[in-house]
Amino acid sequence: MKTQFYVKFGIIILVIGICLYLIYPPEKKLKKGLDLQGGIHVVLEIEKEGVEEKSLSDLTERALEIIRNRVDALGVTEPVIQKEGTDRIIVDLPGVKEPEKAIEIIGKTALLEFKLVIDDENLLRQALNGNIPEGCELLYLKEKDERGIYRETQPLLLKKEPELTGKYIVDAYVGYDRTGFPDVNLVLDKEGAKIFEEVTGKNIGRRLAIVLDGVIKSAPVIKERIPEGKAVITGKFTLQEARELAIVLRSGALPAKMNIIYQEVIGPTLGKEYIQKGFKASLYGAIIVVIFIIFYYLYFGLLADFTLFLNILILLGIMAGIKGVFTLPGIAGIALTCGMAVDANILIFERIREELKTGKSPKASVDAGYHRAWTAIIDSNITTLITGLVLFMLGEGPIKGFGLTLSIGIIANLFTAVYVSKAIVDWIIINRKIEKLRI
Amino acid sequence: MEIIKNPNFDFLGKRKICYVFSSLLIISGLILLFIKGEKNFGIDFVGGDLLNVEFTQKTDVVNLRNIIGEIKISSFTVQELGTEGKNFIIRLPQKTSDIVIEKLKEKFGDTFTIKGKSIISPSMSISLRKKAIKAFLIGLIGILIYLTFRFEIKFAIGATIAIFHDILAVISILVLTGKQIDGMVIAALLTIAGYSVNDTVIIYDRIRENLRKTRSTDYITIFNKSINETLTRTILTILTTLFVAFTIFFFGGETLKTFSFCLIFGFILGTYSSIYIASSIVIDWLKRSSSKIKL
Repeated sequence: MKTQFYVKFGIIILVIGICLYLIYPPEKKLKKGLDLQGGIHVVLEIEKEGVEEKSLSDLTERALEIIRNRVDALGVTEPVIQKEGTDRIIVDLPGVKEPEKAIEIIGKTALLEFKLVIDDENLLRQALNGNIPEGCELLYLKEKDERGIYRETQPLLLKKEPELTGKYIVDAYVGYDRTGFPDVNLVLDKEGAKIFEEVTGKNIGRRLAIVLDGVIKSAPVIKERIPEGKAVITGKFTLQEARELAIVLRSGALPAKMNIIYQEVIGPTLGKEYIQKGFKASLYGAIIVVIFIIFYYLYFGLLADFTLFLNILILLGIMAGIKGVFTLPGIAGIALTCGMAVDANILIFERIREELKTGKSPKASVDAGYHRAWTAIIDSNITTLITGLVLFMLGEGPIKGFGLTLSIGIIANLFTAVYVSKAIVDWIIINRKIEKLRI
Repeated sequence: MEIIKNPNFDFLGKRKICYVFSSLLIISGLILLFIKGEKNFGIDFVGGDLLNVEFTQKTDVVNLRNIIGEIKISSFTVQELGTEGKNFIIRLPQKTSDIVIEKLKEKFGDTFTIKGKSIISPSMSISLRKKAIKAFLIGLIGILIYLTFRFEIKFAIGATIAIFHDILAVISILVLTGKQIDGMVIAALLTIAGYSVNDTVIIYDRIRENLRKTRSTDYITIFNKSINETLTRTILTILTTLFVAFTIFFFGGETLKTFSFCLIFGFILGTYSSIYIASSIVIDWLKRSSSKIKL
């Protein structure tokens, strides 16, 4: 009999130890979700127009790699970038300082093309009237004035087929032009340099338009053959704009246009507010429950409170162990679990009371109480567990977090409410030789 | 300490009145839901932009409404958070948040910060909605199968209808009190579903036990007895959960207000439906069919 207790208490202490180890230090081990720590959550969807159904998944995969490079360049710690379905990419950036800029960088297609300008007044006029010649296209040169506002938009007729694209870029960095405005310097790889040399050599005197995502940034006249594979994009950028452009050009163009279909920006103060208020409220609630249970069940109340505490500890331990993320609805899941943990105790204690009324001895009443309450506890917990697991597997974002904490909490509950509390009650009854049970 | 000594109430005798009450609540709520349409839902489910703005100086809803009204935006709402007149939630049509921020900058300069911002396209909101409904239905089917296996099909269906009842009733209360259904409300509804089925199963468990003990087919007496025997537990559990729900309501801040509001009503309805929906349906089903319960 005694060894049996030693084994049981050994297991309980081991579980407590493991959980404490997993949780410590809590600031590092317990991961806060985006809603609690602030940051941005973006969902991008690939534009399906003109894309084959089969290659969709592959395109998304490539886009994901490029977005990952861009995020790395932003220097965000612990970003989450994942593919969802065949055509969506989810990007979570916790603690980003300038959310708007980050979103712009992530979503920019950054398709850079060098296209020859067709300088023919007549053709241009015809094109403006809607009669665009074969193999040409009409794009606009957008120029900024001194105050940084786009003023003039000048139409230019271009050869549709680009001479060169951004895919040959090996490096892009910020420099300054003669008037002191920042510009972006490009370095092309060997192949790109060769093409660039050929194009510039053949077309001296013509204008070469630098087109970014369908907008002409500049259209300088080719003065000479450029052999070393270097090009400059000017456009009266601000330093910030030039930096961002350099980042996106370095990471390459997205293989297709991506639309931002979901965007959530949570400021850092909002997350803190959630935690402070949510934590305070949960704590107050817990204190009231703990006091109420002691008041109602006396010593057994202490036991129920201990199992409740253990339940939360195990829940936190497992969450830390599997690197689960706490979200605001997830905390609601914890609250529900606590409710169910207390409920399991109430079921058992009420049952023991009923058994005592029939005149059974304390030991027999306790045994019968745990035994008979068991079916109610297992059935009610498993039905809730089914919901929790389904929500975790099929739900998204906050709902997933809710399902996770709920499921873990219920598993912890089955252990604490039945195994742990029974072991303690048995031990007390046998060791103290209790004749009369007060509950 | 004991709450009620040997309770012996005729719970199920009053079930007809409760059917009427539940039907009225749900039907009136759903009618209003239908009339108000998209306005009932948060942007997670219909798409749109949402701004959480905090000002350093006091202002008010009317003032903000007038300022935003100067830009021609089809429909928007401004809602105050808290009572200090500094924190507001502005709900806007799709892709209009940038213009509104510009406008606010023009009027207020640097005296405000954007604490939070969400932009949700219709295609995203459709998939969010679909996913939430799919997860919920699959969860229900899981519960249905498990309870059929552990009890009987009548009980399983009774419990499932009770969950539906609770969720629809809470949605009705939200609509009738003019609150919006958003992501946090969905989390609350899921919590309520969990609580509801938990509470139902506790009573079912006792009914199962009492049915096994007797050969009597006086089901109403057996059901009533089971409900009375578990009554103390029912009261204690609803009290403890309500303690938590109420503290979240009073101390949890604005974002958790609607959430805890749902929980308070949902927990009460979940307890009520265990008796007046889940158990009552089984009783009425048994009355109509001549078959006995096999557990």
